[in-house]
Amino acid sequence: MSEPNAPIGESQVPGPTAAPSPPAENEITGNWLTGRPRSFTLSEGNLFLLLAVIIGLFSGMAVVCFRITIEWVRLALLGSALAPSHIRVLLVPAGAGLVVAFLVQRFFRAARSSGVNQTKAAVYVFDGHVPFRTVIGKFVTCSLAIGSGQSLGPEDPSLQMGAGIASTLGRRLKLSRDKLRLLAPVGAAAGLAAAFNAPISAVLFVIEEVIGTWSASALGAIVLAAVSSAVVMRSFLGSEPMFRVPAYTLAHPAELLSYAVLGVVGGFLSLAFTKIIVFFRPRLRGLPEWTHYFQPAAAGLLIGFVGLRVPQSMGAGYSFIDQALHSQYTWEILAVLGFAKILTTSLSFVSGTPGGMFAPTLFIGAMIGGSIGGLEHHFFPQINASVGPFALVGMGTFFAGFLRVPITSVFMVLETTGNYSIVLPVMISNTIAYLISRKYQDVALFDLLARQDDLELPSMEEQREQVVLRVEDAMRKPDVASLQAGDTLARALEIAETSPEEILLVRFPTGRWASISRKELSAKAGELPNSTLLREILSTGRLPVLHPDQRLDDVLRYIQGHEVLPVVSRAGSRMLEGVLSLPDVLAAYQKST
Amino acid sequence: MIPLGLLFALTVALARSYHTREDALVRQWFQAGNRDLSAGQPRQAFEDFRNALAYDPENRLVQLRLAEALLADGQLSEARSYLVTLWERAPGSGEVNSDLAHVSVRIGDGDDAARYFQAAIYGSWETDPARQRRNVRLELCEFLLARNRTEDAQAELAALAADIPPGDAGLLEKTGRLLLQAGRPARALAEFEAELRINPRQGQWLEDAGNAAMAAGDYAKAETYLARAVREHSSEQAEQLLATARDVMSGDPFQPGLSDQEQARRTSRAFNQGQVRLQKCAGGDAAPAYPGQSLTDLQSLNRDAQGLRERATLRLLTRDPELRKEAMQLVFRIETATANSCGQPSGMDRALLLIGQRHEGNIP
Repeated sequence: MSEPNAPIGESQVPGPTAAPSPPAENEITGNWLTGRPRSFTLSEGNLFLLLAVIIGLFSGMAVVCFRITIEWVRLALLGSALAPSHIRVLLVPAGAGLVVAFLVQRFFRAARSSGVNQTKAAVYVFDGHVPFRTVIGKFVTCSLAIGSGQSLGPEDPSLQMGAGIASTLGRRLKLSRDKLRLLAPVGAAAGLAAAFNAPISAVLFVIEEVIGTWSASALGAIVLAAVSSAVVMRSFLGSEPMFRVPAYTLAHPAELLSYAVLGVVGGFLSLAFTKIIVFFRPRLRGLPEWTHYFQPAAAGLLIGFVGLRVPQSMGAGYSFIDQALHSQYTWEILAVLGFAKILTTSLSFVSGTPGGMFAPTLFIGAMIGGSIGGLEHHFFPQINASVGPFALVGMGTFFAGFLRVPITSVFMVLETTGNYSIVLPVMISNTIAYLISRKYQDVALFDLLARQDDLELPSMEEQREQVVLRVEDAMRKPDVASLQAGDTLARALEIAETSPEEILLVRFPTGRWASISRKELSAKAGELPNSTLLREILSTGRLPVLHPDQRLDDVLRYIQGHEVLPVVSRAGSRMLEGVLSLPDVLAAYQKST
Repeated sequence: MIPLGLLFALTVALARSYHTREDALVRQWFQAGNRDLSAGQPRQAFEDFRNALAYDPENRLVQLRLAEALLADGQLSEARSYLVTLWERAPGSGEVNSDLAHVSVRIGDGDDAARYFQAAIYGSWETDPARQRRNVRLELCEFLLARNRTEDAQAELAALAADIPPGDAGLLEKTGRLLLQAGRPARALAEFEAELRINPRQGQWLEDAGNAAMAAGDYAKAETYLARAVREHSSEQAEQLLATARDVMSGDPFQPGLSDQEQARRTSRAFNQGQVRLQKCAGGDAAPAYPGQSLTDLQSLNRDAQGLRERATLRLLTRDPELRKEAMQLVFRIETATANSCGQPSGMDRALLLIGQRHEGNIP
C-alpha cells in the first residue's frame, strides 16, 4: 500500500527570508554558576532570536539617549518654554542648520536620506550592511536639527539607528548573509518601537513597508526586538502612551459620515504634501554642491519666520498634538497650524536636513483633522463629537494617505493613544485617504524618494497590489479520464489511444497519483500479458499534487522533473480538476504580461 | 556584554539627569502659574501650566490647575475637556468633580452641575477633606437656591448645618443666611444663635438673628436681638426691623395675656390704619364710576370697611370678640390687597401685614 501524496501547501513553500538556515552552530562558553568552564551551543536560529532581544535592548537604550539628547539640545538652544523668545526662534534653526549641513556634507552623508529606504537598501542591496557611522551620524545631526526647531521627527532616524545597531552586531557575530539581511529590519522595528512607544505598529510598519512578508522566522525576531526595545524605553521614559485622549463614544452611526469627509480631505491634502516633497526635493538636490552647506540654514531661517507667528510648527510638536487632542484650539487655529506645519516640514525635508517625517505627519493630521471636525461641528451642530476625536482620527488619516501604510496607520493611532474606542472612524477615514492617495499618486512616497536617490528598491505596495497567478489560471482540463492503478494493460492502451496526451496520469484508490508515458505503455504491452495490472508496471514514483488556488510562483519549484502534474480538488485528492505542465505555466505568464 | 553595560550606564546617567531637570522645570513653571493665577492673570497662568505639563504630562495637579486657569479665563469647553480627561482617570476626585461642577454651572448645565457637586462632596480630597466637602456643599446649596430647587437645597442645608464644626462662625453665618433664603427661618435662627455664642456682641450677627426671628414669627426674640444689634452697630436696616418688630409687638390684638379693652384698642387702631392705607392706595378709584359697574378688589374692600365702620366702635369691640376678629380679618385682607396693588408697605402697615401672616388661618 502506498501513502497518499502529500499536497503542496503554501506553508511548505519557504519564502525568500524563511529559507531553512544551514545547521550552523555557534558555541557560547560560560561559567556563570559553577565557576567551571562550561560550554553550550545554540543553533543559528536560536542565537538569532536571542540576538533579536539584545538588539532590542541596544536599540531601546540608543533611542532613549537620542530622545533625551534632543530634549537637552532644545532646552539649551530654545529654552524651556513651549513658545521660545523671538530672537531664539529666528536664529537657532538657521544657526543649527549650518552646523548640521557641515556635518552631513563632510562626515555623515548617509544621514541625509530616509531611514526607511536606507534600511530597505541594506536588505535588498547591501546584504544587510548598515555602517555604524550612519548610526552616529543620524544621532548627532538629527538631535541638533530636531532640537533646534527644524520641523522633523525622531522616529525615522530611530528606525535607522536600530537597523545600524543590529547590522553592526550581526557583522561582529559573523552571521550568515541571510540572517544579516534580516537583522536590519529587526533593528528597524526595535528602533521604531522605542521611538513611538508602539511595538505593534513598529512590527506592522516593518512588515508592511520594509520586508513585505509575514515570514514566521522574521516575525518572531522582529516581535522580540520590538518588545524588548519598547520595554527598555518604557522603563526609562515611562509607560504612558504617547498621547492622552478623552474617551470617545460613537453616538450615532451617521457620525461616521463626518469622518468619511475627513478621510476625503485628508487624502487630498496628503496627496498635495507628497507632491510638494517630490517636486522640490530633487530640484534642491540638483543645485550646486556648495549650496547644500546652506540649504538647511536657509530652511531654518524661513522656519524661524513662520515660528514667530506659529511657534507650534517647529520641532516634532508632540505636546501640541496633545493639546489638539484635548480640543485646546479652535478650528481656525488648527487649520493654520496644519498648513504651517506642511510648510515648515516641507522646508526642512527638501533642504536635506536629517530627520523623520512621522511626527510631522501626525501633527499635520491632528491639526487638519481637528479643523475639519470643528468646521463640521460649526455647520452641523448635531455632530456630537468635539474637535479631539477628529484630531485623533486625522493623525491616522494623514499617516495612511502620506506614508501609504494603511494597516500600520490604524494600529499606530490606537497604540499611541491607548484608545480603542475610536477604531471605527479611524478605519473608515484611513481607508478613504489611502485610496485617494493611491488613485492620484501611483508610486508611494518612500518609493519615489528611493528613485530620487537612484535606488531601485522593491515597492512593498506594488508587491501587495500585484496580480497573483494561480494554478487555475494555467491548468488544462483533462481530455480523457485518467487511468486507474487497477486497470489492466489492455484497458490502459485502449484509453491511451483516445488521448492526445503523451503522458498519462494514473490514480491509485488511496488518492496517490503517478504517471506513465504512452511510449512506455506500448513497450510494456509488447513484453507483458494484457491482463497485467498497471500498478505492477509503474516505474515512476508518487507525483506531487497541486490545488487550483495555489500560487503559480510556488508551483515552479515542484514541476521540475515532471512532464505533467495533477491538479486535484481540496475536497478530495482523487477528484482531478486539471493537469498542469511547464509549458502551461509559461503560457499563463506570457498571457498575463 | 561590555558595550551593553556601557550603554546602559550612559542611558541611566542621561535619563536621571534629564528627569531631574524635568522635575525642576515642572516646579518652576507650576509656581509661576500659581503666582499668575493668584495675580488674576489666568491666560499667563495657562501658558505657565502648559509649559509645566510639557515636562510632566501626567501630573494631575498641574492638569487641574491648567483647567482652573482655563476656567478663570472663560475658556469653558477647553477647561471641560481637560477636566473630563482627569475625571476619567480619577472619577472619585473631589477637586476634579468640583471644578467640573463649576464648568457645568457656567455652561448652564444644571443637572450635570448638581451631579458633579454631589460627587465632589462624597469624593476624595487630598487636603482637609472635611472642610473641602463642607465648602462644596455650601456651593451646592447656593446653586440649588439660585435655581429655585428649594426642597433639594433644604435637604443639603440640613446636612450642612449638622456638619458645622464648633466655632466656625463664617460657616454658621453663611448657612444661616442660606437657611433663611430656603424658607427655614427657625433653623436659621438656631445657626445665628450658635454664632452669637461665639461672640454675643457682634452687631451683624445680632441683626441676622433678629431678622431670622422676625421671619420665624418670634417678634419678642426679634426685638431683643435687634435692640442689641442697634446698640452694637448703627444700621438703618436693623433700626427699621426693630421698629417693625416693636410695631408688631405693640399692635397685635391677639397677643396672649391682653385684656379685652387692650385688644379692642389695638383692633380699632389697626382698623383705622387699614382704612387709611386703603384710601391712599385706591385714591379716586375707591368707588365705582357709575352704578352697576363691577367692583374691583379694592372697591369691594372699601365697601366692606364702610359697612363695618358703624359697628367698629371701641365699646362694641371691647364687648364682642367676634367683631374684633371680623375687623382684624378685614384689616389683613386690606393690607394684603394693597401690598399686591401698591407695593410693600412700611411702618404700621408692614406690622399689620406681618401680624396677619403670623395668625394666618389661626386667629384665636
